[in-house]
Amino acid sequence: MGIYIDTCLDAQLRKLSSVTPYDAKLARRALKVWGRGADAPEWPVAALILVNVAAAAGFAGALAAAIAGPARGPAIAGLAAALGIRAAAGWATQRLAARRARAATSAVRRRVAGAILARGRGDPSTLGERIAAAVDEVEALEGYFGRYAPAALEARLAPPLIAAAAALASPVAAAILIVTLIPFGAAMALAGGAAAVESRRQFEALARLSGLFVDRVRALPAILAFQAEAAETGRVAAASADVARRTLGVLRIAFVSSAALEFFAALSVALVAVYCGFSLLGLLPFPAPETLDFRRAFFALALAPEFYAPMRRLAGAYHEKQLGEAAAARLAPLADGPLPATPATPALSDPPGIRLEGATLRFGELAIGPIDTTLPAGGLIALTGPTGSGKSTLMAAILGLAPLAAGAIRVGDLPCGADAAHLAAWAGQQPVFLPGTILDNLQAAAPGITREAAFRMATAVGLGPALAARPGGLDTVLDERGSGLSGGERRRLALARALLKPAPLLMLDEPTADLDPAAEAEIVALIREAAGRRTVIVATHSPALAAAADWVVALA
Amino acid sequence: MSERSPTRRFLAGQLRRRRGDLLLATVAAVAAAGSATLLLGVSGWFLAGAALAGLAGPAAVQAFNYLLPSAGLRAFAILRTVGRYGERLFGHRAALQALAALRPALFAGLAAAPARRALALSAGEASARLVQDVDAVETAVVRRPAPWAAAAAAGAAAAVIALASPWAALVFLAGLGLQLAAAARLAPPLTTAPAHAQLAAAGRLKDALGAYGPAAVELHCFGLAERAVDAVMAEDAALSVAALRRQAGEAALELIETLAGAAAVLGVAVVVRDTPMPLSALAVLAALAGLEGAASLLRAAEERSRLDAAIERLDAAIGDPTPRGGAAPADADLWIDGERLAPGARLAIAGPSGGGKTSLLLMLVGLREAEAGRIRIGGVALEDQPPGWARGLFAYAPQDAGLISGTVAENLRLADPAADDAALWAALDEAQLAERVRRLPQGPDTWIGDAGATLSGGERRRLALARAYLRDAPWLLLDEPTEGLDQATERAVVAALAARLARTGQGLIVVSHRDEPLRLASRRLEVQPFAARQAT
Repeated sequence: MGIYIDTCLDAQLRKLSSVTPYDAKLARRALKVWGRGADAPEWPVAALILVNVAAAAGFAGALAAAIAGPARGPAIAGLAAALGIRAAAGWATQRLAARRARAATSAVRRRVAGAILARGRGDPSTLGERIAAAVDEVEALEGYFGRYAPAALEARLAPPLIAAAAALASPVAAAILIVTLIPFGAAMALAGGAAAVESRRQFEALARLSGLFVDRVRALPAILAFQAEAAETGRVAAASADVARRTLGVLRIAFVSSAALEFFAALSVALVAVYCGFSLLGLLPFPAPETLDFRRAFFALALAPEFYAPMRRLAGAYHEKQLGEAAAARLAPLADGPLPATPATPALSDPPGIRLEGATLRFGELAIGPIDTTLPAGGLIALTGPTGSGKSTLMAAILGLAPLAAGAIRVGDLPCGADAAHLAAWAGQQPVFLPGTILDNLQAAAPGITREAAFRMATAVGLGPALAARPGGLDTVLDERGSGLSGGERRRLALARALLKPAPLLMLDEPTADLDPAAEAEIVALIREAAGRRTVIVATHSPALAAAADWVVALA
Repeated sequence: MSERSPTRRFLAGQLRRRRGDLLLATVAAVAAAGSATLLLGVSGWFLAGAALAGLAGPAAVQAFNYLLPSAGLRAFAILRTVGRYGERLFGHRAALQALAALRPALFAGLAAAPARRALALSAGEASARLVQDVDAVETAVVRRPAPWAAAAAAGAAAAVIALASPWAALVFLAGLGLQLAAAARLAPPLTTAPAHAQLAAAGRLKDALGAYGPAAVELHCFGLAERAVDAVMAEDAALSVAALRRQAGEAALELIETLAGAAAVLGVAVVVRDTPMPLSALAVLAALAGLEGAASLLRAAEERSRLDAAIERLDAAIGDPTPRGGAAPADADLWIDGERLAPGARLAIAGPSGGGKTSLLLMLVGLREAEAGRIRIGGVALEDQPPGWARGLFAYAPQDAGLISGTVAENLRLADPAADDAALWAALDEAQLAERVRRLPQGPDTWIGDAGATLSGGERRRLALARAYLRDAPWLLLDEPTEGLDQATERAVVAALAARLARTGQGLIVVSHRDEPLRLASRRLEVQPFAARQAT
């Protein structure tokens, strides 16, 4: 029994562990996997980078020839060709990288959206934060794959090749370029670590601001009714100032590293120019292993800015790297976690019995239990108890949608902790619907059902007058805020939807709230009729419904 | 641009306050761009001069002044580094501070807008305004020094090219002009429509998630999670198409600009081909560097259309502030559908589901436009007054509780930010929620989740009730105050409410299906469904 409970707990804990601390290694590993998973391969981008380097060398050679003479005409033609090739290669690189980035972004978004929509109750993050994760944070990956990743590839491939080309003319100039890399690399490494920490904090502040803003826009009716606009604007202002402060912290470090880059880029050009100049003058204070002419010297000088150019482009994309990594660290647990499979809705099978073995529930900060009982298969079971005693939470826990703090709940012969949702139809206190018509929503619960059957069920739950009063009838469109229907009508529609699903387990949370005694009697009869072929669990305050139940579980 | 745009007006005011940072950024940008151009140009000139002197023999080498150019190179290298750092730091500081003020202004604008517009904005839309549109404006502020930097780079380049040949300088400036013209003229047709489409698609994607997100339990139960993901991904596909089209436009634009720049460099090379070598080297390298210095101006021109679109949407969200003249007198009589209510009266509103009972309460608090002829306050027709004119009269507990995500105390203090702990406990006690809150781990400072998600339906209802009690207003508006409560709790809530009304003399307007709260009212108003009212 002990082992049994432990494994159950373990499964529940794994479900809960959606947030792990920021882990740069995890982020980088995730980004690597997601980048490789994209449909488009990376080698064409690499090939284009090589073309670009060759054209840069050609440009430097042609430029030296055009200035030094004697064959200026052909040299200028060569210059034109090199510039044209560079422009075309740049264009093609951008297009390829953009396609790769979109493919990777969409693949990650599908997984994140799936994970978000599979999340049950007990997830503390706000809706705004979840939307920000799936849209803005995933979109941050586009910058990573579309701009940072190709820039990083170029920064790895191009500088050694540029230095090799410069070495053809002047090995010493090439050596100067390479030597300036060492202090530059050290400066970048120092700035990078600090930037990652700041960047994560900034991302969290932005997510907080976004969540706050969305929540307050949603709660605007209450804020207006209490004339609390000014106070809430102050809250948004404080969160916004926090984001600005943290962003500036990130940028300060990013700017220091790009200043180091600027400095070494400028220094390498200046050193090459000074070396070549003194070499041409014959005034070098040390014995040079080479003798330069103007064409060689000018070739080396024209290549010097090209050596640091890929790294400057990389620095330009550094913010994209930070945003991408911070986003990846937050998204990786969502995107790489296993997606719960959605088993097909069963045809009505035998109604399951339900065993609660020392079940203790935790929902938010509320603890309920331990509860030991067996609910009979095919019965109408009423959960009663004062408001706040945990009826709704117990129902969610039976479906595996609320975490168990201890003990076990078994639905039929399913293993402990298994997701029983596919066996169940559910009508909650605050039902939500898919955007679409009333008919769409009923048919979504019970695929293949006819319009007539849907209408009969809607009438049976008492929606007849409501449908008749609306010109659209069953085709009335419901929107995100569920407006178009009154609170009572929404509850009846949720009941109709639950009754239409051919599921052996029916969970109804306060199905008769807001109803007058006559309407309540109709609904109780309907629920009574559904029991027998199904196990029906209702949470209720209604004495009439509790009296109709075969079994009453009273929560203290 | 149009001074009528509230976003631009606000931004202009903010930027005036950050003039110092913007000026520093501009000075730094000018120094960086100018010295970058001169660094490369002088390098070329130094090299060519050295080569000629080296060829001419030791006397020429002695005569060649290498101290000045080599010192200049070092100075330009340092100036470029420092300038670029200053440009970035000061520019971003100005932008971030200006933008930190724009976000609360956006929220305040939404709150001040007519109820219909503010409440029609979905969660996804709100988040898109806040993140993407504000970012677009931020980028524009950061790029404000770009024209000056470009002018410095181009000016320095043109000046040194003119040493070789004035014609070459003209060719260079013409090529640069061509680039800028291409960016300004071609950017809108190539990128505006796809950028619009991309932002709209991102908004639709957020809306889709905003609609499906809260339905996770239902979706899961009815096996619809995958269908919902497919629907979300259909919006993602539209977003991808729009993003790739915008990117294609940007890439084509950059190609055209690069070719125009190449033409300028080639033109300079052709014109100076017979000029002495040091000057021709100076001219060609300065042209190359000058083009690079002007690149940020091109980016700014390209982003113009995205900025305009973002500002247009922000304007639509902020809107022009509506006039908010005065407030209704606290001791006024109310007339509702012809019923006259003196202060302290108690009215029950009854009628079938969907009959417009809740709508009537929303009209009273100004969350819905008042229908003509239904409500008068102190002899004045409510529909003739600005929205929110009568809000001070009412303490409202809505049917859907309307909680913010935060703690119990934060929700309560929405009604009275200055309320002390004793006042909070008194209100909780009257709403029969004090005992429950005392059991919470951090009491009233416990986080209650998204719209109070960790509370049960009845608890949310009672928290909304406690919040209404905390507001010092002559009328209580309660919409289904006891729904979802068991009988014992309901009786306790109603008894405490009765005692409260007797003590404070507050008026009551209550909507309920249940008998218990209706007993508190001395009068009853039947509200007919919309269709029935139309028919009569």
